[in-house]
Amino acid sequence: MSEQLTSILTISLGAILINNFIFSQFLGCCPFLGCSSKVETASGMGLAVVFVMGLASAICYAVNLLLAKLGLEFLQTLAFILVIAALVQFVEMFLKKMVPSLYSALGIYLPLITTNCAVLGVVLLNVQNDYNFIESVVYGLTGGVGFMLAIVLFASVRERIDFSDYPECFEGFPICLITAGLLALAFMGFNGMKIF
Amino acid sequence: MNNILKLTLVLFLICAIVAAVLGGVNELTADRIAQLQKEKTEAAYGAVLDSPEGYEDLQIKSYTQVANGQKIKIGKISKAANGKGYVVETTFSGAQGNISMVVGVNNSGKCTGISIIKHSETSGLGANAANTAEVGVNFRAQFKGQDASIALSRDGGKIDALSGATITSRSVTNATLAAILAVQDLG
Amino acid sequence: MFKKRLKEGVITNNPILVQQLGMCATMAITTSLFNGVGMGLSVLIILTCCNVVVSAIRKIIPGEIRLAIFVVVIAGFVTIVDLLLKAFLPALSESLGVFIPLIVVNCIIIGRAEAFCQKNTVGASFIDGITMGLGYTVVLVVMCLVRELLGKGCFGGGLIDLARGVTLDGTGTGIQIFPSEYGASILTLPVGGFLTLGFLFAAMQYALKKSAKKKELAAKEAAQDGKEADEQ
Repeated sequence: MSEQLTSILTISLGAILINNFIFSQFLGCCPFLGCSSKVETASGMGLAVVFVMGLASAICYAVNLLLAKLGLEFLQTLAFILVIAALVQFVEMFLKKMVPSLYSALGIYLPLITTNCAVLGVVLLNVQNDYNFIESVVYGLTGGVGFMLAIVLFASVRERIDFSDYPECFEGFPICLITAGLLALAFMGFNGMKIF
Repeated sequence: MNNILKLTLVLFLICAIVAAVLGGVNELTADRIAQLQKEKTEAAYGAVLDSPEGYEDLQIKSYTQVANGQKIKIGKISKAANGKGYVVETTFSGAQGNISMVVGVNNSGKCTGISIIKHSETSGLGANAANTAEVGVNFRAQFKGQDASIALSRDGGKIDALSGATITSRSVTNATLAAILAVQDLG
Repeated sequence: MFKKRLKEGVITNNPILVQQLGMCATMAITTSLFNGVGMGLSVLIILTCCNVVVSAIRKIIPGEIRLAIFVVVIAGFVTIVDLLLKAFLPALSESLGVFIPLIVVNCIIIGRAEAFCQKNTVGASFIDGITMGLGYTVVLVVMCLVRELLGKGCFGGGLIDLARGVTLDGTGTGIQIFPSEYGASILTLPVGGFLTLGFLFAAMQYALKKSAKKKELAAKEAAQDGKEADEQ
């Protein structure tokens, strides 16, 4: 049991801080740069990603077991992306009907998540790292939390950039990338942190 | 209703066609991929402990060995058919992700070489531990002849860490120690 | 015709620097020229194939589920390329790792399918695939060259070593221009990806703005000349 707990803690710490999905693995950069002009939208997007990544990890674990049993591992990418797309649709319909308040908060971000490479990335990495069911789900959830942390931090920095001076040609995207780079530099400080 | 049926049918048809094509491509490439994988493992075995006569599986069940506080998963242990020693497969976490490595250990418990099969370390830093360029070759050469007292030079041993990649270097060192201990445990 | 489209794909409508698509892989894998060229060509091939297929079936597929069908087609081609790389170029497949299957969610491909191929003929889509793919590859190559030169002081790492037969796994230093100890190794780390792409973007915006201004000025001058001619 304690071994399981250690491995879960190590995975969580890694996914949130050390190997942050955005800052060290570059997964999910498009929504990270696109949906981060306000803290509010950023946290909405972040929450939606945590939710979908957790669910996708759980379901794709089962799908992968099935594929492995049938000897059809080569269909992995195809199956995963279809599962994710269907899952996102399903979650959207479910929330709309059952939890309208949550739907109004997350609704507009959900369709964007299908093409978020962090989601497909996390399920592929689960397979690559041979994670068991619990580890997969934990990796998915904490990876999402890492994404949320990154996007919320980034959005709060971006809100202030509007009031600062920078060369004209850096307007818009370039200054965002430079900011993200500096944040990534800060996150590098977590490198080498270890539990036990 | 009819429309939904039609949509489902079209989607299903497209999926079926794509899956069939993939099946074909897989059929063509599967053997080659398996062959490459096998060659790679064999080459790694040969690099750490030369045995043209082959290797015999000694212990297949994997277990966890603790070395300097780090958990190292010991995989298959094989005995060189020429009786020179053992080859141990290890898996452990490096700085970025899991590293798979084979370690050769001779009969007197000394490392005969290491070879990294799979890793996801930072390119240009930790990844140097596995590459075939000079830095990598020199780094791995240090492990030859080391015994259970193996450690990084900053930890009081003789292994110089790769620059900018202390964590990778330390985990590789720990895994080597774990392999040596695993062979000692065989008795 | 092709020349005009090429200019569009590589410069004025560059998928990365102007359309802002497919950034993840651009920043993640551009640590050596070997990776950059490999990734660029893989995307070029997949993009061209998908474009052709999507435009060929554009009249058969029902509008409601077109995105799902695009994704299936893309995933199919990505898996084919993935399997072929694993079998014939294992070094590249290992070096790019998870970023090969992740081409499925690379916005460039689905973006071109949605914006271009479902309205255009097979031939036009084919050319679009090649030009956009080249635009993508050019940016990757520039990123790699900058990051390698400033970060490690070398040129063409992996690719040149592979050609010379020194190393087989796509690592290595290529031609060392200055000793690697003097390089800003931060550029080879993830941070470097963000910074390099940021500066590249800024340079592109600068260039585009300058050429727009020049054109404006030229137009103004022409108008002025015309006026003067009229007055005389």
